[in-house]
Amino acid sequence: MDELTREFVIESQEGLDRMERCLTELEERPGEMALLAEIFRSVHTIKGTTGFLGYKRLEKLAHAGENLLGLLREGKLEATAAIITGLLQLLDGLRLILQSIDETGSEGGGEDGALIALLEGLQTPVAAASPLAASAPRPEEMEAGPDERAALVEKVSVPEREAPRARSGTSTAAESSLRVDVTLLNRMMNLVGELVLTRNQVLQATALDPKMTMLSRRLDMVTADLREAVMRARMQPVSHVFSKMPRMVRDLSQALDKRVRLEMEGQETELDKSLLEAIKDPLIHAVRNAMDHGFETPEARRAAGKEAEGTLRLRAVQEGSHVIVDVSDDGAGISVEKVRAKAIERGLITAEHAAQLSERELLQLIFLPGFSTASSITNVSGRGVGMDVVRTNVEKIGGKVEIESKAGRGTTLRLRIPLTLAIIPALIVRGVGQSFALPQGPLSELVHVLPEETKGAIEWIENAPLFRLRGQLLPLVFLERLLLPAGAAGRGEGGECFIAVLDADGRNYGLVVDGLADPEEIVVKPLSPALKEIGLYSGATVLGNGDLALILDPGAIAVRAGIALSGEDERMHPEAEAEPDLRNTGLEYLLVEVAGRQAAVPLCDVLRIEQVPVERVEYLGQRPVLHFEGELLPVEDAGNLLAEARSRPQGRLVVVVCRDGNRQVGVAVSHVLDVTAGRELMEAGTSQQADGVTLLKERVTEVVQLGAVAPLQAESLAEVAG
Amino acid sequence: MTDTMHPGGQGKGTADCVEVCAVEVGGARFGIPIAHIVEILGLMSPQPVPRSPDFVGGLVHYRGDVLTAVSARQLLGMPPLRVPHAVLVLEGPAGCFGVQVDVVKEVLMIPGSAFEPNPCTLEDRHKSLFAGAYKLGDGLLVMLDPARLDPILLAGHATAA
Repeated sequence: MDELTREFVIESQEGLDRMERCLTELEERPGEMALLAEIFRSVHTIKGTTGFLGYKRLEKLAHAGENLLGLLREGKLEATAAIITGLLQLLDGLRLILQSIDETGSEGGGEDGALIALLEGLQTPVAAASPLAASAPRPEEMEAGPDERAALVEKVSVPEREAPRARSGTSTAAESSLRVDVTLLNRMMNLVGELVLTRNQVLQATALDPKMTMLSRRLDMVTADLREAVMRARMQPVSHVFSKMPRMVRDLSQALDKRVRLEMEGQETELDKSLLEAIKDPLIHAVRNAMDHGFETPEARRAAGKEAEGTLRLRAVQEGSHVIVDVSDDGAGISVEKVRAKAIERGLITAEHAAQLSERELLQLIFLPGFSTASSITNVSGRGVGMDVVRTNVEKIGGKVEIESKAGRGTTLRLRIPLTLAIIPALIVRGVGQSFALPQGPLSELVHVLPEETKGAIEWIENAPLFRLRGQLLPLVFLERLLLPAGAAGRGEGGECFIAVLDADGRNYGLVVDGLADPEEIVVKPLSPALKEIGLYSGATVLGNGDLALILDPGAIAVRAGIALSGEDERMHPEAEAEPDLRNTGLEYLLVEVAGRQAAVPLCDVLRIEQVPVERVEYLGQRPVLHFEGELLPVEDAGNLLAEARSRPQGRLVVVVCRDGNRQVGVAVSHVLDVTAGRELMEAGTSQQADGVTLLKERVTEVVQLGAVAPLQAESLAEVAG
Repeated sequence: MTDTMHPGGQGKGTADCVEVCAVEVGGARFGIPIAHIVEILGLMSPQPVPRSPDFVGGLVHYRGDVLTAVSARQLLGMPPLRVPHAVLVLEGPAGCFGVQVDVVKEVLMIPGSAFEPNPCTLEDRHKSLFAGAYKLGDGLLVMLDPARLDPILLAGHATAA
């Protein structure tokens, strides 16, 4: 295919995408001229260019559509549902031919006579509806030959004042943007990956050479910027996928006799092109599922006291290094009991096992292969290949799928997609004398177990090691036992170790590793299928020191070790109903103990937690201060912990370093207990928020007032400096 | 016997000469057609992969990619060497992979007419690895079949067995 044709195909496809969007919008606002103009322009452009390139079939079809659109634009016809359906058929017809041109270079041998007749037929009904307005120009139009008529339509329908504006608009867009082959972008991404590796190696090699420090820092910054820029070049707004949905929802609601309104939010959210491609099918599947199984018929909805028209909400939002895509419906929801019955019936789980599962765990069963709750198989969905495909596809790209459902109130499917595939933050861990990369995504916290604590900290039930994490038992997996052949590894007792607390697809466990190195941004390199089969590794990478490291796959390890899906979220949030409120209004707090009393510090103000030898604390007059890398930190010691720490040999003090406006203050605490969400309290009788307290774990807890810590005086600072 | 008549074994045809890279594995000499070799890497210690199938010698870094290196010693049923190996990079249908050998010797020009297919008395395990042999003045040069060394294929055999 020559360059000209390729460009034509791409441009026409974009035009048709626009047309599709406009058509579904037109259905809601039938009279909107701007939409009609846009649709007309798309079809007109195709017709104009095809004539030039000699695609006769395409030209004929576009021509028929253009005539109909011309009448719509002139207001001689009204955009009825029948006309919009006809235009959508035209769109499909044009797409089919374009696809054939794209794939084979020719238009294919299809016959469009029926479609053209339909489009021409649609030009007449208005004559019956309002004979006066439309019948007058019609006879002469019908007599005129197709070309003359097109000329006529064109003359009337592209008003002079609008055309130049549109043209200048497209030309500036064309000048400031450039089409780039995706393979070139992929190659650039690979090269940037290489550069990141080389940078990591340079940074490590030059760490001790002061002359190189400036240069390597510069290299570091430029690499980071370049990486960001290349990543951005590969980004596309999710509207590319979302734009397919209005049409689908429209067609499906007609086919299924349901009334559904589609709301879309966050269409401008951007995602890597390859990831966008990868979530297209899962999203379409999810929407089909919601349309078919989620929504009830209008009658059933009314009977249930709901609005006859259901709402399907698509929402995309970026959260840190992830994009969250929610598909929520306000339909019937998923009946947990039905899921349980179906899973037992299909032999996916045993009845005894099912009885032990929590609601959340039961809901996860719908992701099992071969599961479908549809009581009847329809041609829309319900063939038993459903949610498992969604999950597999999303997990393949490192994403996660969650489902929430309330019987009678609807279902939300949440896809959590990483922004990029190629470069991920990872923690480098040591085990069996090798380095491994552990992706940061599923890592929730790290616990350091000192050599003398190992025996007591890790408890055993027969052969199953467990760790008590804030009062809850966490199953442990020893990396060493996992990696060495059975029987070769000891029981993993003695010696210092670290527990990486992981949450892999709802499976919580602790991975015990021998040591930790710095976190690194790693470039994921694919592994040969022969090694992926082992079921422990998701890839490999080259570390800053030039060594190779395997990337551990927390999800696969959990499955291999037999870690079950946990219902911990429910335990942590006993009232599921109140959960959204907590998220919206409540802050997260660091819960600390100060001399036997509990107190809270807003988590957003906490910078870090330091454990310092008590000798490091100096006094400025009566005020205790800490000296950190040339900065002075006032320490608030409400519980008089300093004196207590001094009385012990080698006493240590735990200091929570917080931000207060633009200064930092330290708060001495006995222990750090937990991180938990707080709820605001109202003072009784007033609607005012009570100051300085919050409700944590159903206990009223005092919030440490950082602002009350007196600033250090200028003269006393001079005293220290001198 | 048709499956042993791999094009690599025949080289550029019986009339012409074939270029063969001679390598040493566990004291024995083997040949690999040079046309299949992308690059010969110097001595290196591949990163071991815990819990991998026996034939995997480890991972090597090659031009920004991480390749799986197959251990020729393991395939031939010999104990692994604890010293750095020479690694040949071969190209398979699903991408490049490495083959660990003890030493790379020399490149030989051998007339195609010296080729003989595998004898039928050969053990099955070796039959599936060897493509035949060249009769040389100083003994036989047994050819390793590059297509049979591909880790993906080997993994398929391992799971089938």
